[in-house]
Amino acid sequence: MLDLQSLTVGYRNTRGAVVSDIDLSAAPGDFVCILGRNGSGKSTLMRTIAGLQTALDGAALLDGEDIASMRPATRARRIAVVLTERQFNPGLRVDDVIALARQPFTGWQGGLADDDRVAITDAVAVTGVEPFLRRFFSDLSDGERQRVMIARALAQTPHLMVLDEITAFLDLPSRVEIMAMLRDQAREKEQIVLLSSHDLDLSLQLADSVWLLDDAGGFSVGTPDELSRSGALGGAFDSGAIRFSPERGRFEITRTR
Amino acid sequence: MSARVSTSVAVLIAALAALALLTLTYGQIALPLADTLGALTGRQSTDLARQIVLDIRLPRVAAAIIAGGALGMAGVLMQALFRNPVADAWSLGLLAGGQLGVALTVTAAAFAGPAAVSFLTLFEGPSITLAAAAGVAIAALAMLALGRRVGAITLLVIGLMLGFTSQGLTSVLLHFAARAGGRIYGGWQDASFAGVAPEALPWLAVPILLGACAAVATAKSLSSLLLGETYARSLGVRVTALRHAVLAATVLLVAPVVAFCGPVSFVGLIAPHFARALAGTARILPLLPLAALGGALLALSGDAIIHAPWEQHFLHLNAILAIVGAPVVILILIFSPAVRQWR
Repeated sequence: MLDLQSLTVGYRNTRGAVVSDIDLSAAPGDFVCILGRNGSGKSTLMRTIAGLQTALDGAALLDGEDIASMRPATRARRIAVVLTERQFNPGLRVDDVIALARQPFTGWQGGLADDDRVAITDAVAVTGVEPFLRRFFSDLSDGERQRVMIARALAQTPHLMVLDEITAFLDLPSRVEIMAMLRDQAREKEQIVLLSSHDLDLSLQLADSVWLLDDAGGFSVGTPDELSRSGALGGAFDSGAIRFSPERGRFEITRTR
Repeated sequence: MSARVSTSVAVLIAALAALALLTLTYGQIALPLADTLGALTGRQSTDLARQIVLDIRLPRVAAAIIAGGALGMAGVLMQALFRNPVADAWSLGLLAGGQLGVALTVTAAAFAGPAAVSFLTLFEGPSITLAAAAGVAIAALAMLALGRRVGAITLLVIGLMLGFTSQGLTSVLLHFAARAGGRIYGGWQDASFAGVAPEALPWLAVPILLGACAAVATAKSLSSLLLGETYARSLGVRVTALRHAVLAATVLLVAPVVAFCGPVSFVGLIAPHFARALAGTARILPLLPLAALGGALLALSGDAIIHAPWEQHFLHLNAILAIVGAPVVILILIFSPAVRQWR
């Protein structure tokens, strides 16, 4: 169970609070999509929930425990992240990358036990990264790399997965495949999956629940249906060029010229 | 440990032992293998053989193995810490920084008067090791601060330039120190294993052994850092504490080498690549023994070549290491997938 209790996220500099006073919860098995335009605070919110950034106020609780004050090792056993930032890794192969997910569970040497191997094999199978296990991570294409990082997060067998714009580098069939796979994993393994995306149509079709951030620091929550009927989706995304159509449940290009 | 790693370790140990034995047999005076073995084991051999093997050649060979191993392990740590395939204690100016530390200490003692010089001579082991450690630590902190702002290749160039500057200052300082009565043995500025006296060996070996333990202790967390700082934190690593621990391990490994053997180039840069190729992984723990053995083998090979029975002594250690090492670095810069990403 993930509980956000009057959570305010942002920065302790001039940028200040990005999103304020969020109160909500997500249950195991929930596939949550976080939507919002660039700069609306999606990443800040996700980093805060993942414990990588401190909250300005309030708290995020996972299974009743404050994520910010968890021991790093405990947090690593319960929360896995995939981020957009790219890193360069001399000599690191794909199987190394995925195996690193088991570090929170291994002894001081980092040696893998049987259950570690099972978790890795499962993650490799569902993400389809088997063909490039022995390649160098830095030789992969952006899409392949993203798949590997998702496999790594799955191999960490977390209670909560935080995935920030992971489908950005994937083509449409792969996006559908990956998002559907993550939703199935959430149900099957009783995990909470938080996923931010610019893929509005796909997110609205797949999400159990949508967290919607608008440019003004506003925040609304609901099922895709509720949000489209209430006009919140239109409020967050409508611009001169695009408009949300509640009747059709999708975005349309407005012909202004 | 995987079978691949343990087989490689066994083969490297055998090669190192064979090379060490060979190096003990030759030099100005060639000794038959039987006499060399006899001197080593303390059974039947001549006094001369015993003196040559135990007092002259063995300390040199031991120093080459210990120093080469230390530089190899330090290279693994630094390449992971900086996530830079051409980082090592020499290329990022840590060795030169350590030299400058030693030179400053010797010069300060020389100008402080004969009492300071005799104090320094009496406690030569600890004092120059500490001086080198201070220099290495300052250089490492500076490079770590820089490493977060500039790219890998820029960092390499800056490291080499700072190294040249420090070496220039070192030679100027030592010139004045010599005129004021302070001395450090010849050959130190150019890197050599021949200047390590038998009684200095513990000062070389003990800090390096501690550094090796620290390196092993940080290995698991350092592997996660290969994914980048944020992912390492998400895997439960306390990144700042890890950085300090790795830095401390590096200083322990590198400072004694600078203090007693001078700026041994290329070993620490190449050994980690050799280790990764053998291990088939970038995980730090299996790389440490392989890089240590590879570094030791490389350092001892260099030493074996310069002490081969040439007509006259004309080779320097760093000359050999540069002839072998520089082309390897050029190949890494051109072909390493990791470097390609950085441009």
